[in-house]
Amino acid sequence: MTSVASLPQGLESNDAELAALVSAWLGGSRIPLPEGFRLVLEVTEEIPSIEDPRTAYSQSSVDIRAGAPLGWVHLQWRSLPAMARVEEDRPVAKVFLSRAAIADPELLFQTFLLLVLIFLWRRAGRFHLHAGTAVDPNGRGWLLAGPSESGKSTTIALLAARGWRVGTDDIAFLTGANGRAAVLGFHSPIALRPGGHQLLASHVGDGIALRRRNKTGFFAEDLRGGWLPSVEPDVVLFTELGSERTRLEPLPPAAIMRSLLQWSPWVLFEPTASQEHLDLLSRLGRQARCYRAQLAPDLFEAPRALLDFLP
Amino acid sequence: MSVGHYQRHPDLRLTALEGEGVVLHLKERRYFTVNETGLVLLEALKEPKSVAELVQALLSEYEVTEESARQTTEAFLAQCLEAAVVLERPA
Repeated sequence: MTSVASLPQGLESNDAELAALVSAWLGGSRIPLPEGFRLVLEVTEEIPSIEDPRTAYSQSSVDIRAGAPLGWVHLQWRSLPAMARVEEDRPVAKVFLSRAAIADPELLFQTFLLLVLIFLWRRAGRFHLHAGTAVDPNGRGWLLAGPSESGKSTTIALLAARGWRVGTDDIAFLTGANGRAAVLGFHSPIALRPGGHQLLASHVGDGIALRRRNKTGFFAEDLRGGWLPSVEPDVVLFTELGSERTRLEPLPPAAIMRSLLQWSPWVLFEPTASQEHLDLLSRLGRQARCYRAQLAPDLFEAPRALLDFLP
Repeated sequence: MSVGHYQRHPDLRLTALEGEGVVLHLKERRYFTVNETGLVLLEALKEPKSVAELVQALLSEYEVTEESARQTTEAFLAQCLEAAVVLERPA
């Protein structure tokens, strides 16, 4: 196992090319590595097979086992030979990858290593949230959480093109900052489907082809608004696609927590850091005005109209 | 209701939002909400408590009669025991 001087501290691999790619991916996310971070990547054709009595939860072709009685998190990629072990209480992981698993780095990052990272970051007080973030021209932080194809990325790209600063359109990590809930954005292109791209096209150029996802990407800084490493949400929208006019409906406390748990579900998955994670979700629910938002074509034509919904 | 002690399940995590309690049951990977009174009782049940101690916990928070606090406590405990959210402990 070698550790190359130019790699970030804590990243090690026996494959220099893979180490450089992972280093670029981590650096590109612009999320600082936490204290005590250690990620060891071993390329091998002998992936350890471990008897694990815990029930597996499957996501994106990865089987995940966590909690008692072993404590550590066990991730097994079903599509390609690869497994990872994330320590119970420290941001430390060892990942075993076959040559087949590293053949397509984009697939490896988006499918397997992102999940490893999600469990590593949990151990550093950063809790994954499936959401987009932005800051409006008045300095208010916005968080949009919701399913795929509910208009999050399109809305965020259109707002960025009109001067709002953007944290992320998809991969967010909730953390605490000065007594408030803040959201770190994983820096990556805002990924738009053809319809969203068409709406944005009059404002920007061609973007980056994200072929695997059949989307087009735009970095926030290539739009008018720029990128922000962290957003403290003052407004939270739980998005769904509406058919006619955009509507925002204030949510009662139980519905707020139900929605936050839905888009940050790892809080229910393992005991490690679960109370800290839950407290941060609750803090977010208290600090922000929270709405159920039906996003409709009228908003895509005039996205700044979002501001008109606020008191 | 027995004269033993009670304690909440060790896999519960609690938080409050505007007077509502949100309770995660990690072992079962589910969550539910409780009212403010239920949250007071579940917070007290972090350590083993008798019914009398739980009644006192309610009396210290709310201006209610002892009889009313006892009825609330016993009804809540019965529900929680049935749902395995609270466990009975030896006195």
